[in-house]
Amino acid sequence: MDSLQDPFAEARKKCPVLVTEFQGETIPMVLRLPELREAAKDWQTFSSNAPRRVPIPSEETVRSVRQYPIETNPPEHTEYRRIVEPFFRRPLLPEVKAKIDALLEHLLDVAAGQGTIEVIQGFAIPLQSYALTYLMDVDEKEAETWISWGTHVFKQGDGESKGAFMEQYCKEMFEAAEKAPGNDFFSALNQVDYQGRKLTMEEKLGYANLAFAGGRDTIIQTVASIIAWFGEHPEGLEFLRKNPGSINTACEEFFRLFIPLTHIGRVCPATTDFHGFQVPPEGRVSLGWFAANRDPDVFENPNEAKLDRKPNPHVAFGFGIHNCLGAHHARAIMRGLVTKLAQKFHSVRILSQEPHVEVEKDYRRSSGYQKLEVSFVPLQV
Amino acid sequence: MAKVTYITKDGGRTEVDNAEGNLMEIALENAVDGIDGSCGGVCSCQTCHLYIPEEWIGKTGKAGDDEEAVLSSNEFYTSRSRLGCQIQMSEKLDGLVVEVAPSY
Repeated sequence: MDSLQDPFAEARKKCPVLVTEFQGETIPMVLRLPELREAAKDWQTFSSNAPRRVPIPSEETVRSVRQYPIETNPPEHTEYRRIVEPFFRRPLLPEVKAKIDALLEHLLDVAAGQGTIEVIQGFAIPLQSYALTYLMDVDEKEAETWISWGTHVFKQGDGESKGAFMEQYCKEMFEAAEKAPGNDFFSALNQVDYQGRKLTMEEKLGYANLAFAGGRDTIIQTVASIIAWFGEHPEGLEFLRKNPGSINTACEEFFRLFIPLTHIGRVCPATTDFHGFQVPPEGRVSLGWFAANRDPDVFENPNEAKLDRKPNPHVAFGFGIHNCLGAHHARAIMRGLVTKLAQKFHSVRILSQEPHVEVEKDYRRSSGYQKLEVSFVPLQV
Repeated sequence: MAKVTYITKDGGRTEVDNAEGNLMEIALENAVDGIDGSCGGVCSCQTCHLYIPEEWIGKTGKAGDDEEAVLSSNEFYTSRSRLGCQIQMSEKLDGLVVEVAPSY
C-alpha cells in the first residue's frame, strides 16, 4: 500500500466530515483543512479536558495518568505548557542541534558500514531515543532503556501494554532526581511551582508520559517514511544536493505527507452539531490531520511530494493552542537527517519492507513501517 | 539599502541596515528575540508573528488567505498581525519598524 495514497479522497469530496466508528464509538472525522482549523481553534466546544480520551482510540486501558499539558484546557493549559516549554525549545540551541547532527552522522556511518540495516530497530529507534536525551537533558545512557521499549511505548505488535512499565520507570526517575537534583527534565518538574504549589507525582508522570509517548512512533515512522521515499526517488537526493536551500521546504513536505498520526480527538461537553452530525454530550469528534494535509483545495497535487512546496500550510504539528510541543525537536532531527542523506548517499536501496497499515472500519491507511530493510549507496568520490 | 527595526517583547530594539530577505529570515540572522521561524517560511507555523504599524500596512500589504488562516488561531492575533516570512524586505519598506508579537 502506497504511503502517498489518500484513502479519504472520495469522502472529502462529499462532505467535510466522515462519520465513522472506532472501537464501537461513532465519531465524525473532519477531513478538510479550513473546517479542521475552525474546530481546532474552538477549544471550548471541542475540549481537551478529557484525561486519556484525547487520542482515538482512547488510551484508558494502556496508561493510568492524564497527559500534561495536552489533556487540559485554558487557562490551566497555558501555565502547564509554559512549565515544559524551555525543554521542548532546547533543539533550537546550537549545541543541542550539533549533538543531534553528530548522532545522525554516527548512526548513518554505522548503517552504511553494515551494508544493510533494518531502519526501524537499527536506526530510527536509537535516533529518537538518544535525541530525546538531549531534549530532556539527561544522561545518554538512559537511551539504552528507552530503546528496549520498541516503536510504541504502550503497545508493540503483540498488543501487550508497556504503559505501566514506563510509568514505573518515570516514577523512579523523579524520585532519583529528588535525591540528586540536576538540570534535567525530571529535576525541573520536581522543583517547579504551579499556582503556588509543587506538581503532584500524577502531574509529573503525565508530563513524562507525553514526552515519551508523543514523539515516539511519530518520529520513528517519519524517519522511516523519508528513507523509504528516497529509496523510490533517488532524484530527490540529487535535487537536495544541488539545492540545499530546499532542505527545510522538503522536510515540511515530508511532514505534510507522512504524518503518522492520522487524527486526534476532542470531546464535546454539550450536544454539538458538527457539520450535520449531532455529537452527544461527552461524545467525541476527530481532527483528521492526515486528511486535511491532503485537501486538494489547499494543496495542489496533494499526493505528490514537491520538495520546494511553498506555501505549505500543513497541520502535521496540529493547529491552535495544542500545537505540537515537539515540533522543534522533530524539525531538528528531520532537517539533519535529510541534509546528511543528501550529502552522503547517491541512493537508498530498499531490500524489503513491511508497511504498517492502519485498518479502520471506513479506511485503510499506510502510516509507516513495521520493518524496512535498506542499504545506503554512497556517493562516488 | 533598506533598514528595518524590530521591537522585542521586552522593549529591546534590533536595527538591521542593508536588510535582505524576508522579515523572518532577517530576524533569525540577527537573533531577534521571540522569532523562531520554526517551519522555515512555508506559512505553516506562527513563530514569526509580527505587528505592523497601521501606517505601514499600505506598503507591506495585508495577510494572504493561507497566512490569515494560520494566524487567526493565535490568541495574540490583531488586525496588524503578519507572518514575517511572508513579507519580503525591499526599498519601499526602508525605515519599517515592526513589533514582535507576544507568545506563550
